[in-house]
Amino acid sequence: MKKLCYSTLLVVGFLFFIAACTEEQDFSQIDDLSVTPTLASGLFYLESDEATINSAGALTTFYFREVNFDAFNEQYVAEHLLEGTITYEIENTTSKQLRIIIGFIDDAGNILDTEIFDIEAGPSSVLTREVFYGQGGKRLDILTNTSSLRVSANNLSDDTSVSSAEDPKVIFRSGAEFLFELQ
Amino acid sequence: MRIASKLILLALFCGTTVLAQNKELLYDFYEIPQSLMVNPGVKTSQKWHVGIPVLSGVSFQGATSGVTVNDLFANDGVDFTAKVQDRLLDVMGNKDDFSSTNQIEGITVGFRGKNRPEDYYSFGMYWETDIISYWPKDLAILAFEGNGGDNIGRSFDLGDLNLRGEMINVFHFGINRKMGDALTLGARAKIYSSIFQFQSINNSGTFITRPGQNNIYESVINADMQLQTAGIRGFYDIFEADTGTEQSDVASLFTKRMFLGGTLGFGVDLGFSYELNPQTTVTGSVLDLGFINNSKDVWNYNFSGSTVTDGISVFLPEDINNVDNDLWQDLLDEIDEALPNGENESGYISWRPVKVYGSIRYDFGQGGSTVFDNCGCGVNAGGGTNRDYYRNSLGGQLFMMKRPRGVQGALTGFYQRRFGRVASVKATYTVDKYSFTNIGLGANFQLGPVNFYVLADNLLSYSNIADSHYASLQFGFNIIYWNDN
Repeated sequence: MKKLCYSTLLVVGFLFFIAACTEEQDFSQIDDLSVTPTLASGLFYLESDEATINSAGALTTFYFREVNFDAFNEQYVAEHLLEGTITYEIENTTSKQLRIIIGFIDDAGNILDTEIFDIEAGPSSVLTREVFYGQGGKRLDILTNTSSLRVSANNLSDDTSVSSAEDPKVIFRSGAEFLFELQ
Repeated sequence: MRIASKLILLALFCGTTVLAQNKELLYDFYEIPQSLMVNPGVKTSQKWHVGIPVLSGVSFQGATSGVTVNDLFANDGVDFTAKVQDRLLDVMGNKDDFSSTNQIEGITVGFRGKNRPEDYYSFGMYWETDIISYWPKDLAILAFEGNGGDNIGRSFDLGDLNLRGEMINVFHFGINRKMGDALTLGARAKIYSSIFQFQSINNSGTFITRPGQNNIYESVINADMQLQTAGIRGFYDIFEADTGTEQSDVASLFTKRMFLGGTLGFGVDLGFSYELNPQTTVTGSVLDLGFINNSKDVWNYNFSGSTVTDGISVFLPEDINNVDNDLWQDLLDEIDEALPNGENESGYISWRPVKVYGSIRYDFGQGGSTVFDNCGCGVNAGGGTNRDYYRNSLGGQLFMMKRPRGVQGALTGFYQRRFGRVASVKATYTVDKYSFTNIGLGANFQLGPVNFYVLADNLLSYSNIADSHYASLQFGFNIIYWNDN
């Protein structure tokens, strides 16, 4: 029985051996595979009406908050992030001149970087800014060490003027596109 | 991730080495007893047969409808990532698949009824593994390219994840009855003893990142996804326990489940052969009309729900008094709540992949003597009307199989030549989704009572087997006995 078994395998193997050929294959190429997806996401959105700005008073901060933001310094993200761009858009239809400051804060409370946006009184065109992180741009470790964002919105005008625009607002938008190296 | 991606790619290409369950060479090759397994109503001439245990029927089949091993791994100096992009991601669709099927017959026995010589009974046991994975096109693009860049606004179909696999041991008993001069009917009952089963076949949903209504981007996900498994957890737990006795524990669990100790199922095969005239025969069969009731060792994973997110949002004055600083964690919690996911142990029914064969055969070239001795069953009685007098057969076959994404079909033209009792050769040309150049060749040899057959598909691809979209090999040994003399 054992002999028959071996004989069969030998015969079938031999038939295949003489019949089948294959070009040289190099399976180690899989080590050269590079997987670098670009991930996009909305980050932070702030919207305020003019009445809220007026009620805070003239020449003062109408919104201030430091929020935990661990999206960048998650270990996996920090290890695989190659580069990225954060895009900001600010639209102001209020009658106020405004300043919005975004601070990037690390675990120890140190400010790693700030983005300052001075916004003309509305109606003004949409202010757009793209900030690149990585080679040729800002340091990548600003992002990877950021654990919270400090958002400060300041009114640089009075507290009485009212825009003639319908439903006057300031809208702050931000989104990110990051390139990761997964493999 | 590095190891995971390697495993995924290797699994995909291991799958290509061995598929597709079409056994066009074996079908209606009635000199081979295993043809009963693809048509229980095939003509039977022998008094009895016994398969050599484990060697009576061994078949390996493999196919890929898209990329081949050679496309990616040829040592051609082309950058591997570029090959993956150009030959895999840009070319393959969600209906392309990688699949693998193999069968090993443990025992097979057939015998003619003493009191009812028109009946031929057969029983046995075989082991089968069947795995199919459709190319998850959108998920692969999402993994390789991401949702950003040019993919902003692209809707990724989560239903592209579609795979199914099982390993079963099948116990079967069949009856083949000659109803008269022209008609032979057959039926086979099967008990499936499942070793493991998994499927993720009814997924739906989309994921899209697009310019947001509020923020710059918003991501929308609607998902209804499920992976069902039965029999996997037991093996997983053995390795997880890390007791040092994994090998024997796996062998023990495997053996237990092979012999009805796991989840069970039931199925039937039906078939017929009908002679329209002495030279023309039509046949048909339906195989694996059955199911497995996966009720033990079930381990499922669900992911469903829908949500839209555009990041952390603050609206003033509504949120002016909100002093919560954990807005990021709150956002993650909201997403988690909107997309519930988790495990459950709910049993489920899995349907066997039903297969249908049909054929028409024209016999010609009358020989000088009967090929087989008279078994006393009326099969080859009838003098000049006996089709075994014809040394040549020409015909066509149709094969259809139920797969998770619909019916998969194949058309075959064949020519068969018989050289007395000693040998018979069958050549086929098959067209299916895997190949338009599939030429197969099968041979059956009868040396006294010892029967040996070997059947191989897609011979043209053997010049570079790594570049083949389809390959199959079947072979086996039997002892066949025709009469009492």
